[in-house]
Amino acid sequence: MTSSRWELPSVPAEAMALWCETLGDDNAIHVDPAAAEALGFGPRTVNPGPTNLAYLLNMVMEAQPGAQVRCVDAALIGNVLAGDGVRAQGIWQDDGTTCDTELAVEPGHVVLKARIKIENGRDCDDHGEGVFSQRL
Amino acid sequence: MTAAKDPIGKAALMAQGFVIPPGVFDLSASLDDAIRRSCAAPLRDGEQAHPIFAFIAALGGMGSRVGDVCRGLGLAFDSGAVLGRCRIDYDAPLTVDTRYDVATSVVALERKGSRRFGAADHLTLGMTVSAGGGLRARVRLTTIMPAPV
Repeated sequence: MTSSRWELPSVPAEAMALWCETLGDDNAIHVDPAAAEALGFGPRTVNPGPTNLAYLLNMVMEAQPGAQVRCVDAALIGNVLAGDGVRAQGIWQDDGTTCDTELAVEPGHVVLKARIKIENGRDCDDHGEGVFSQRL
Repeated sequence: MTAAKDPIGKAALMAQGFVIPPGVFDLSASLDDAIRRSCAAPLRDGEQAHPIFAFIAALGGMGSRVGDVCRGLGLAFDSGAVLGRCRIDYDAPLTVDTRYDVATSVVALERKGSRRFGAADHLTLGMTVSAGGGLRARVRLTTIMPAPV
């Protein structure tokens, strides 16, 4: 088994508006620190979940340039806030097409887990039922 | 308790027949560039968009905003909704400068216990993302929000 890593020292608050506009997501926690704080997330905006997932895909793309992603199965179990540093880590299975990834907020708090399969991988094994369980 | 008195039961009944209109998503090269810059992704090589665009096209191209779908079902989207899980199956790569057709349906609406909220509603939507009549991706996402009190 081999491993991959990817890091972003500080999640930019200003990028969240672009993601919200593109996603059609009008959830105020992503763009208004006061709204995020009022709802218990703390005094910083909350990074959209798909952005966090993009970080894990970045890691896979850098580890396997040109590979096609076949399947992503992800459980979002925590939040990333503006200014957080994030660290992605992935463990590749022996078939070389399946990577079990996770995204952690410093210092080591995991907020996202995903199994990512790339080309030549078989379909995800769980037929949509999920390979991770999560309870928020 | 009857469905009429049970908020989640009522919402679940609504979800069964809740229609989300089809929509489209225009994926330009400049948008792919901007999203890549925003998340520190590798530069695009050729016509293939960042794979996160399967999710973005699904959510951004559905015929209603996700918040409006939740509100229409009587769910507390504005009380701190978060993405709980998602699954993306890719049938073909997404390319830039392409218009995608998005079809969406309500897959499930469930109320579960929550460490954060006490009780939470889990709304699962299923989407297909197609172009030129060909399927590009199937997306299933679950949004979690506090159960209304």
